[in-house]
Amino acid sequence: MLKSNKHVFWEALLITVVVFLFGFLIGFLFESGRIDDVNKYYANSEISLMDLFALNDLVNLNSSSCAQLVESNMNFADRIFEEAYLMEKYSDANKIDTEQLIIHQRYDLMRTLLWINLAKIKNKCKGFHSVVYLYEYNQEDLVKKANQNVWSKVLVDLKNKRGSDIILIPIATDTKISSLQSFIKKFEIKEYPVVIIDDKTVLEKITSVEDIETYLN
Amino acid sequence: MDLLTQTYLFYSFSSIYFLTLFLLIYFQNKKEMFEIKKPKKELSLSIVIPCYNEGDSIGETIQRLLNSDYKNLKKIIVVDDCSKDNSYEIIKKIAKKNPKVFACQTPKNTGCAAGAKNYGARFVKTELIGFSDGDSFPEKSAISNMVGFFNDPKVGAVTSRVLVRNRNKFIERLQAVEYKVIAFTRKLLGFVDGIYVTNGPLSIYPKKIFDEVRGFDDRNLTEDIEITWNIVSRGYLVHMSLSSLVYTVVPSNLKTWFRQRIRWNVGGLQTINKYKGKWFKCGMLGSFILPFFSFSWILAIFGILVLIYRLIRTIILRTLSMSYSTKVNTALLTMKEINLSPNALLFFGIATLLMGIFFTLLALNYSKEKEFKKQGVLLILNYTFIYLLLYPVILITSIYKYLRGYKSW
Repeated sequence: MLKSNKHVFWEALLITVVVFLFGFLIGFLFESGRIDDVNKYYANSEISLMDLFALNDLVNLNSSSCAQLVESNMNFADRIFEEAYLMEKYSDANKIDTEQLIIHQRYDLMRTLLWINLAKIKNKCKGFHSVVYLYEYNQEDLVKKANQNVWSKVLVDLKNKRGSDIILIPIATDTKISSLQSFIKKFEIKEYPVVIIDDKTVLEKITSVEDIETYLN
Repeated sequence: MDLLTQTYLFYSFSSIYFLTLFLLIYFQNKKEMFEIKKPKKELSLSIVIPCYNEGDSIGETIQRLLNSDYKNLKKIIVVDDCSKDNSYEIIKKIAKKNPKVFACQTPKNTGCAAGAKNYGARFVKTELIGFSDGDSFPEKSAISNMVGFFNDPKVGAVTSRVLVRNRNKFIERLQAVEYKVIAFTRKLLGFVDGIYVTNGPLSIYPKKIFDEVRGFDDRNLTEDIEITWNIVSRGYLVHMSLSSLVYTVVPSNLKTWFRQRIRWNVGGLQTINKYKGKWFKCGMLGSFILPFFSFSWILAIFGILVLIYRLIRTIILRTLSMSYSTKVNTALLTMKEINLSPNALLFFGIATLLMGIFFTLLALNYSKEKEFKKQGVLLILNYTFIYLLLYPVILITSIYKYLRGYKSW
């Protein structure tokens, strides 16, 4: 060896560790920023949900109209649907921070509450259809995963087509929410994904927008 | 953090570590990159050239060596390995005219360069023994720039810088880039006693050490790698002279290129297997060369398997999704799906890519060849994103062939 250079191995290791820590820090800042955004959305959605429950009580006391309640439910569902979309993007991008799993769970609980609320008001208020999409968040089976991919697209198409009378609620069922498990027991679902229309029809096989519409008329 | 993310991080860490290591070695030693040592004594030297069907080039190879400015080059021993062309006639003709050139022929074709090299080595009586290839062309000063390294009695081998001579076809130009990067990297490894191969086109060994390691292993497809490991395992040092230029002819089509790379990689595997008991023993062989070589293989193979697994899963998923979406007449990809959110993995990916490109540019700039200016960005991009990506195919094929006992030269 021309020079005693073997310390270079340790120097390189040290620099690599520093680069890595810096990369982690940048990544963590990005991811935390996104989680903060989602948390803000969630806090606002939580307020909307509480507002919805209050409105529900008012309808029961005959102090408010069904039309207003349905509209509020619809707006809330649309809002958390958009937020779910955003969250899905953030989940794909976030690799270090695992807080997103808890946020997922919180959103799924919120959607479950919305679904239960819709079931409650359905007897009193008409003029809307609930379309609940039950899927699995951690799906490894490729056939089911492909099924889920296409189902979600079909439902977005349905929502775009029928916007005003559809309340679309996608809920992941593998998030250990006991109220959800209890609520879906009556549908006797064997495997996911499924779509439940107006709490009556359970669609297990992937169906076109046009065919789903036949259940809505 | 999922397993895939952990794997990606591990790969990023390894890549950044090795690139940092090379860049550090470079910045710490850049003044000595082209160092030439003046020989304390002009040691006597013989060069052995194995030749098999190299009638087109052998004459020029001999002439180039005859033109060498090293005064104590005693003999050029050209060993014809029972060529089917007119190589032997050409060699004999030159030998007749020039007493420095000695022509000989193996009793029967040895089937490998090592066989012919060992055969030629029998006739060497000088202090140093060098080897060149029948299609390689050393520059006038190549040998004289190498000999000074033998001032240190611990030096067991000195190797040269090989560059590509034929650069007309696209594949040849890509190899020209590759050879420059290889030469630059090898020189850097020399600063940490990590040179793992003394190339075939021009390498020199003290005859005593060459005899001590019993010459080249003719059962190994890359005898030049094996002999280097053998020399290092005995505590000798190996150097590279960046100022010693040798031009060689590289494969001109994909088929011959592929065959050559398979041979190199199978030979590499044979060498790892032969020295598997030397881990953390025998100085830099066990503590760096063997782990570095083996680690590169493990990393490459594991990476390929992960990539194939991911690719197959993605293809199956896309195909199934397509078939379902066709059934229900819905569009699968919308603008909404495009996700450009940055994350830590992106940072590491960009860092590795930039460091890799910087290292390649540095290596090319160091070749100090006029041709570099003509290479252009496109060639470098093709080298980085196409040429290097062909390697997984070679590695997988090499493992398969190695396991099947591939021995063809």
